[in-house]
Formats: sequence, C-alpha cells, structure tokens
Amino acid sequence: MKNIQIFGFSLIHLLLLAGLVLTLAACEDPIDINLKTGPSQLAVDAWLTNEPGTQTIRLSRTTGYFDAAQPPAATGATVVVSDDKGKTYEFVDLKNDGNYVWTPKAGEVFGQIGRKYGLGIRYEGQEYYAVSEMRRVPAIDSVVFREEKVNPLSDETGYLGEFYATDLPNQTDYYWIRTYRNNKRLDKTTNIVVSLDGSFNGSANTDGLLFIQPIRTSINPDSLYKMNDRVRIEVLSITEDAFFFFQQLSGQINNGGLFASPPSNVPTNVLNRNSGGPKAVGYFGVSAVGSKSVTVEKANLREDD
Amino acid sequence: MKQFLLIFLLASWTAPVVTAQTSQNTAPPAGLPPNKAQYTVSGYIKDAANGEGLIGVSVFVKETGSGVTTNAYGFYALTLPAGTYNLVFSYVGFAKQNRTVDLTGQNQNLNMELQQEGRDLQEVTVSTKREDDNVKNIEMSVNRVEMKTIQKIPALLGEVDVIRSIQLLPGVSTVGEGATGFNVRGGNIDQNLVLLDEAPVYNSSHLFGFFSVFNPDAVKDVKLVKGGIPALYGGRISSILDVRMKEGNSKRTTVSGGIGAIFSRLTVEQPLFRGKGSFIIAGRRSYADVLAKPFLKGDLKGSRFFFYDLTAKANYRINDKNTIYASGYLGRDVFGADFGFNWGNTTTSLRWNHVFSNKLFLNTTAFYSNYDYLLDSDLKRKEAKDYFRWKSRIINYSIKPDFTLFLKNNTLTFGGQAIVYDFQPGKATAASNGEVRSFGLESKYALESALYVGNEQQVSRRIQLQYGLRYSLYSFLGPGEAYTFQSNVPAGQRRFPVATRDYDRYENIETYGNWEPRFSAKYELSDLSSLKLSYNRLAQYIHLVSNTTASTPLDVWTPSTNNIRPQIADQLAGGYFRNFGRTGTEFEASVEVYYKWLQNQIDYIDGADLLLNKYLEGDLLNGKGRAYGAEFFLKKNKGDLTGWLSYTLAKTERLVDGVNNNRWFPTRFDKRHTINAVALYDLNTKWSFSATFALSSGTPGTFPTNGYIFQGYLVPHNAENSRNNYRIPPYHRLDLSATLQNPKKPGRRWESNWVFSVYNAYARKNPFSVFFRQAEDKRTVTMNGEQVQIPVAEAVRYSVFASIIPSVTYNFKF
Repeated sequence: MKNIQIFGFSLIHLLLLAGLVLTLAACEDPIDINLKTGPSQLAVDAWLTNEPGTQTIRLSRTTGYFDAAQPPAATGATVVVSDDKGKTYEFVDLKNDGNYVWTPKAGEVFGQIGRKYGLGIRYEGQEYYAVSEMRRVPAIDSVVFREEKVNPLSDETGYLGEFYATDLPNQTDYYWIRTYRNNKRLDKTTNIVVSLDGSFNGSANTDGLLFIQPIRTSINPDSLYKMNDRVRIEVLSITEDAFFFFQQLSGQINNGGLFASPPSNVPTNVLNRNSGGPKAVGYFGVSAVGSKSVTVEKANLREDD
Repeated sequence: MKQFLLIFLLASWTAPVVTAQTSQNTAPPAGLPPNKAQYTVSGYIKDAANGEGLIGVSVFVKETGSGVTTNAYGFYALTLPAGTYNLVFSYVGFAKQNRTVDLTGQNQNLNMELQQEGRDLQEVTVSTKREDDNVKNIEMSVNRVEMKTIQKIPALLGEVDVIRSIQLLPGVSTVGEGATGFNVRGGNIDQNLVLLDEAPVYNSSHLFGFFSVFNPDAVKDVKLVKGGIPALYGGRISSILDVRMKEGNSKRTTVSGGIGAIFSRLTVEQPLFRGKGSFIIAGRRSYADVLAKPFLKGDLKGSRFFFYDLTAKANYRINDKNTIYASGYLGRDVFGADFGFNWGNTTTSLRWNHVFSNKLFLNTTAFYSNYDYLLDSDLKRKEAKDYFRWKSRIINYSIKPDFTLFLKNNTLTFGGQAIVYDFQPGKATAASNGEVRSFGLESKYALESALYVGNEQQVSRRIQLQYGLRYSLYSFLGPGEAYTFQSNVPAGQRRFPVATRDYDRYENIETYGNWEPRFSAKYELSDLSSLKLSYNRLAQYIHLVSNTTASTPLDVWTPSTNNIRPQIADQLAGGYFRNFGRTGTEFEASVEVYYKWLQNQIDYIDGADLLLNKYLEGDLLNGKGRAYGAEFFLKKNKGDLTGWLSYTLAKTERLVDGVNNNRWFPTRFDKRHTINAVALYDLNTKWSFSATFALSSGTPGTFPTNGYIFQGYLVPHNAENSRNNYRIPPYHRLDLSATLQNPKKPGRRWESNWVFSVYNAYARKNPFSVFFRQAEDKRTVTMNGEQVQIPVAEAVRYSVFASIIPSVTYNFKF
C-alpha cells in the first residue's frame, strides 16, 4: 500500500494502531536467508541542486542485497551534464572512488530554474543517459515549534516543528522536503516526504494554497526536537516523474507487515542508448531549493492552540 | 433500458423450457408402475425444541426408494403416484420419525417436528445433514459445518468463529492469519459470495481478519459451495458461503450469552403471536476499551477502540402458505483518539415464503447491503482550520424471486435477480488554514440482473443430474464520466487517459452479458459409494481493488466499466465419495480433483495508486489465472471421537502482461500442501476436548537479488524482475480446547459451560511474510579515511502471533 501520510501518521501506521490489541502479540525478528545474487548493474545516484558549492554524482555497481551497503565504485566513467542551452558541466572522479564531482568556478552556481538537463555517462563501453528539469520552488516563510508530548503515552515532551510555505499558483508543482537536525539529515526510510501542490497525490486541488497541515509537520524526528537544536528545512522542486519515483522508493523501502504490497523494482530514468545492452538502476534529478535554518528557541515557540 | 427488454426476452424464453421439461420428465422411470394420477405431500419440518426450521432433512419414501431434502426454509415436497406411502424423516442428531401418508385421492400437507436425540447438549455432529449425504446427495465440493461443531473447535482467544473454522476445510486457505477473508480453490477473497440470510456481506471481518462478523449465537447453518455451483447462485466466481441465521425460539423465551477474551455476548429469543412467529436479537461488543478506560490519561483519554455487531431477525407465519422473515445486521469497528477510523457493514433482508400449491414454492428476497468507512484526521474538531476527512462506501439494493417446483423425480428451480449498485469510491474534504477544498471521486452506478433455470433430475435409482443455465446481464450506468486510456503503452506501465465522456443519469456506458451453464452428475456405484462430476461457469461484475498481502478495510470495490471487464471462471471437478464403518455412515471419505480457468483477473502496475485515483483504471492490468488441485477428506461422524482429516494438493497461478516478464507466476496465496486435522472428543457428560492441527506450505514472496544505495537509502532490486520468486517457511499450528459443562440443576433451565482454549499451543512463530529492509540503526565504517554511516540490510520474519494465546470463555443459557 502506498505510504500516504495523514497528520504525521502514515495510513499503515493508522491501521497498525487500530490493530494495537493484537499487534502486541505480533513480532518481527531478523532471520538469515540465502538469496541468489543477480547480475551486477550500474547504479546512478545523481541529485543536483542550485545550492552553492560542488555537485556530486555517485556511480557504483549493484551487489548482492546483503552486501549492498558497501557497493563497489564504478570507476573510469565519463560523466557530463548539459542543459538545453548547450551549457555543459563536467563531473570528474577526483579520488577514483566513484564520486564524480563538478567544482564551480568562483561565483558560479549549478543550474538555472526553467532549464532542462541531460546526464550522459559512458561506462564500460555503454552509453547511458537521463533527463530532468529544474523547476520553480517557493520560499519557506517561517518555521515554528510547539511543545508536545513525544508520544501520547509518554510524559516526556519535545518540540514539534512546523514550517510554512505557500504553493506557487497556476501550475502543478512537485516538491521533495528534506530536513536536517544539527547538520545531519533525517535519513530514516520514513523520512522521505514528497508533496504535490503542498498536499498529497490525489484529486485535491490545493494549487496556490499554504502547504497543508500534515505536510507542514512532516519534518519531525520520532522523538521531536530538543531546545537549541539547529533545524534546516529544504523544499526541493522536482519533476512529476521524480515525484512518482520517490513515492515508489518510499513504498518499497517501507514495505512489510500485514499490508505489504508486492515488492517491485523502483523505477529508473537512466537508460542505455543501446536498448539491448545492460540496464542501469538509480535516478537523475535536478532541483531548485527553498530553505530555512532556525534554532529551537523561545522566539520560535508557539503556544498550543 | 435495453437490458430490461433482454430480461423479458429471456423470461419468455425460459417459459417453454419449463413446460418442455415438465412434459419430458413426467415419463415414468423404469421399474415404476405406469402413469396414473399423481399427488403431492409437502410441508415444513421443524426442531421440536425451539421451532427452528430444519435445513436438509431427508424425507425418504420406503416404497419407491426415492426421497428429497428440505430446502433452506425447512420446506419439502414429494410428488408420487396415487397410493399409500411410508415416509421416513431423518436428520443427524434427531430421532428418526415414520409417517404413513395417504395419497390415494388428494394432496397432503404434512408438517413435522423432530426431537433431538441422545445426550442432547453433548452430542457432537460434524456430519452433513443427511446421514448418507456424502454419497447420496448430488452436491459435490460442498462443505456444511454445523454450528455445534464450530462451537467445539478451538478458537483464537476463545471467540467462536465461522470464517476461521471454514479455513480448516479442504480447498480453503488464507494468505496468513489476521488476513481478511479466505481463498477458495485459488480464488481471490473478493470472489466469495458471503451471504447472511441472502444479503451479501462485503467485509466479513472485524479487526482486519482476526474475527469474523458473524455472531455464532445467531447462526444456524453454514454452507460453503466450492464447485458444482447451482444456477440459483451467481455474481462471484469462486465460492458461495451461505450463512443462515436462527429464526428464534418459537416455543419459549431463551436468553443466552457469554463473556470471552474479546467479546461479551447476549442473545434473546422470543416467540411472537402465540408461536406463530419468533424473533432473535443478538449483540456482541469488544470490551477491552471499557477495561482500559480508567488507565487512559491525557491525550489518550478520548481513545476509542472497539467493535460490535448486532444481529436481529423476526419471522411470522401468516398461514400455512405464507411466512415472512426480516433480518438485519449492523456491525462496526471504531478506532481513534484524535484521528478516527471506522468501518462496518449493514445488511437488511426481507423474505417472503409462499407456497402456491403443494408443488410450487416461492421465496422472494429483497435486500439492502452497505459497507462503508470513514477516516477523519480530527475527530474532536480541535482544529477547525486544518483537517482531512475521507469517506467511501458501496451500497446495493436487490430483489430476488426464487421458485422451486417439486415434480416427480424432478425438482425445478427458476427465478431471477436484479441488483442496483451505488459505489462511492472515495470522497474527501481537506482544509488548510481555513480554506476548505473537497475532492474525491464521483459515485458510480451499475445494474446487474440475472435469470436462471435449473433442474435436479433423478434419472434412475443410481443416476442423478443437476443442470441449469443462468444468464447475467450487467450495465455500467451514468451519471458519470468514462475514460478512454492510451492503448500503445508498454505492458505493466501506467496508461494515461486520452478521452473523457460525460454520461447522463441512467445512460448506458457499457453492457456485458454472460451465459453461465451449470452441470452436475452423480452415479451411485453402490449404497456406500458414488462418483460425481461437475462443471460450472460463473461471471463476476464487481471487484475489490486491493494490492496488499492482507486486504485492508480501506480497499475499495469497483464495478466493471468500459475498461474493467467482468471476471469469468470455468471449473471442472470430479470426485469419488464413499461411506463406511458402523451403520455404513460412521466414516465418510472423498477425493476430489478440480481445474479452474479464470479470465480478466485484475492485477496492478508497479506503484499503482489505488486510493482516490480518478484514473485508477489506467493502473490496472488484466490477466488470467489457473488453479488446480486435489482434495482428500476423511470424516468420522459418530462416536465419542469425531472430527476430520484433510489434505489438499494445489497450485494457483496467474499470467499478466507486464508482470514477471510475462510468464506464469504463483499467486500470493498459493500453497502446495495443506493438511488440517480436527478432533473432537467427549470424555463424559461434563468434559469434552478438541484439538486442531494445521500445516501448510509457505506462501510465495518476492525477494530481492541485489541492492544499491540511493541518497543514503538501501534499495532492494530484483535483477530478474520476477514476482513471487521465493517461498516463506511452512506454517503449522496446534490449538487445543476443553469444555466443562456445569451440571444442570433439576427443575432449572440454567445451563452453563466454561471453555478453556489454547491457540498456537507450541508457540511457533509462524511467518506471515518475510521482507527486506534497512535496519533502524546504521553502521559506522571508515572509507578513504573518513567515518561514514552506512545502512545495514536485514531480512525480517513477520509473525502475527509469536506466542501461546490462552483464553477462558464462559457461556450461559436459560
């Protein structure tokens, strides 16, 4: 089942909460399983933004599932990104570790809103390509916090963050929302948040509205924030295709339990020019970023209403 | 309105068939005296203790060796040449009765009341109703389980459960415990027509699949038809689960009830109008929340988590020819604190039994059935400016006349059905900062109608045939939009709409019609054994859209549309049936084999968006299925030790363009081997014991072959792009129960018992599924001299019950 989020609870969690009485008896335990390993493929991890600084594209190779956390680097590739106006960016594997880096000249920033971008990779005699677009993004107006219980059963409290941004009108916009706490990204599998016009994928027309409530509070760690935490919220513009990609990625890496959907491969937009050649996995995306950094402190606190 | 016309055409077509068959079948079978005047004896057969009509009582004519069984209302009719006959009324658990009937000059009306025999309450019968039914009845692939038996089977948390009990029958399986519904011979859960007093129940579970919605105190009879489905039934392609409610005691007021681990129950039965009618009202409610209430503080204070159901039924016998019944069911699951979530079924059915003549019986049913759910982000309306509310439902109304014509050696059934569907797949309201936008999907409407005729014919002493034809006609109707989707998209990918057309009220969007032939034959090799064969075709016009391992209460029913074609199943089954042991019916055994072809099976593209999606049809795939297997069944009917043993060997596969590289793959509920054993033992009048053991192959799952890292996340990848390429470990479970019958005090009506049960007696962690994920905590490693955190891959076994679950239940009756 798609991981639809409602007020910070995913539907799956809602269902599980509903089954509380019996899920007490349920249990999840890690087991050993022998998996057959399939042929190794090129894995592309390329997300570029218009934030100042270097941009990195990671190339590696798929391995057996249980070894995949430390994948072998795909080295010796030629990696180029170009836009629809002919500007090219070269990515170089400086340390020969599969991290292909573009280093800006002084004052230079990657990307321009409204332009389309193409990624080209030449690797082991194959040519791979992918396209994306840097779309517009709204600014984040403010981030506020209110004191709340960490969970309904606990006496411990923390600070629940809520950010305010308004969807840009007259067009369907797609966003990826990333959160950093004390410079560390919230990177649990449940922290993937994407939004359509500041709402969920559905028929709701929220074009031009303030981001709706569950999205606004989708930036919190499980145990909420503590006083003096540094919190950075980023809203990244993404394409429609990337939106569906993230939905599937989130669905697949949070898939399990009573209401699991059939596991399937997360889609890719990286294609081999030779359609009969080896296929790649992974994704290429470019985003403009709207961001705001705040500290959890008195000035940013709001009373519970 | 083209379809009404067709129905009328059909009606005029069936009429000549009826007459043709009547004339053809009045010819005397070999060995009987030549044709002379014929008379009919008919009547109702009831339980003397409480006035309940008895279903399936055998009425046997000593002189001719022929007989009939009573129908679902306890009615029978026998047409015989003029003469005097000795009739034997027999029914398992009841004393046999003999009557002489004089049919020399006129039809006779003979109502009977049968007395329960033997040790009464301790009597355990697992038998089909007629003692030699297994061999003599033309029905095959049918399992009847008596409520008495269901009540003795060890139950999860001591809660007697109809659906969990039928999962112990051959050919019936489930994706895993806790999953809603059941799978019959390779069919999906939405392919079972679950009827409660003839009204369909759309979600047969409370709390997902843990408890079924049927209150055991109000259920009289449960019959599961897996094959050889007669023409009377239609609308689902895998099975019919026909649950009949008690009518209520028409002799005296009784109150029964009990307290178990989950539910407290109370049932009242009462005669009406000096025994001419009766009613029953039965309620259950889970009470964990009541006990928890004092302990809930703060935000949890308003927590609500409970489920309940209320079942009621009344009947009134107007006169010998007319009886009316009204039944209703209302059940709901409610969960929530700030957010809320509730769902439930409502059904109402009204029935009128009319005896036109001794030979012609009519039952007309009108029903209403509703399933709906509501999701609310803010039950207490704390935040007036920000909320999300979502509703979905399916409603239908139906009328269904069914005639039975009892002729000599032939029982003719004919009738029809019309169902109006109103689907509301999802309506949502979202408010953000005071601005309210409602959205969701338009309601969809459909009309399903059917006409059928069937006949059960005694060809000779040994050969019996049942054949029939059903024509079903379905229209997807306006008002509403219908879409045309891209046709050139590679299989397995989302198809986007290319055209939209608006339809007016009652305007026909798409029509489907299906001829559904049904055939069964029985050949008695001897009094103790028979061979049976059956074929049936069934069509199904509504579909449950569900892509999860266990169906969720949020799953939405969808009608067949211009893009979704009706599901069709053809099934061929054959079997050998034999009784043996003391009195010839101590044991019954059967071997059945079946093969099933399924068309237009719904599957889903990867990442399908099933909820609140206007263009849902573009995310659906169309496939076909096949299921085949063999079922071995051995049952002991009599003695202190009763029970059954069954083994099922089965395979269920699907072929869908765009899934599993366009090759056949096993369905999620495919189980190669299933063994079930049920033993019920009466030690003495006080103690009785029971045990069940279930063993089955693991269900298939899709496991990754590879993995990679994307933005710090570990992504599983299946390089072969296959579906269900592995199997999870096998499932086995032992349940035990003991019943202590408290001694009844002389002169008092109070009866009570204690039931002690243990579920999952040896605490096996049976896997529901095995899935793969990155562990919560990351591992720190050094890469190029830098400390980096990397995810850890793990395989997880998910068990719904990982421990022994003991329970105690107290039941009473007075």
